Amino acid sequence: MKISDFALREPVVIGGDATVAETAVLMRKSGVGSVIVLDGHTPVGIVTDRDMVTRGVAEHYPSDGRIDGLMSTGLIAIDADRDLDDLVHVFRDHAIRRIPIVDHDRVVGIVSLDDVMVFATDELSSVAKVLAGQIMFPHAGDEAKAPVPAA
Amino acid sequence: MFANVGDELVIEGHRVGEPRRAGMVEEVRGDNGGPPYLVRWDDTGRSTLLFPGADCRIEHLAGATTRKDS
Repeated sequence: MKISDFALREPVVIGGDATVAETAVLMRKSGVGSVIVLDGHTPVGIVTDRDMVTRGVAEHYPSDGRIDGLMSTGLIAIDADRDLDDLVHVFRDHAIRRIPIVDHDRVVGIVSLDDVMVFATDELSSVAKVLAGQIMFPHAGDEAKAPVPAA
Repeated sequence: MFANVGDELVIEGHRVGEPRRAGMVEEVRGDNGGPPYLVRWDDTGRSTLLFPGADCRIEHLAGATTRKDS
């Protein structure tokens, strides 16, 4: 299964010259905990609500300071046509919780580890229903057939 | 930032004990050698797409070739 088949949430983006306060407002309006920071159309970093607290509030970073001063750089991304296994490898290899999804060099979505967990849980739930059916109605296909009279 | 296919990309650790990460640039997607880069990491042997930050440097290796994949 390709990533784009199950998780393609619209990315929330902001320019690197936006302020911390503007970013916080955008997070609140969009109901997200992370924002991708762009330089033009190119992603240059990501900032999370945790970054705002640990690098912003805790370090007395001004709320009118540029958001690119708080962001994490070195953005790991993944192509939309890669599959779920590839995605899990990226989460594991890089110890990150959110991955931008790109089409060539443009960000077209974002996927979180939580999204994968929800998807996996749904899949497990489907398997569990099959299993429950087999436990409740064992050997459903094994009913004796009407005897065929001997010739 | 500018890279060729075959160059080495290095990200130094930011904290004590944090290892440096290095890998080979397999694909250059931006214009004129710019990012993003598909990097095969030395420690995992797997490739990921990277929009490098300021803490990342490119070591241009002899024999590396400029290529813009589409």
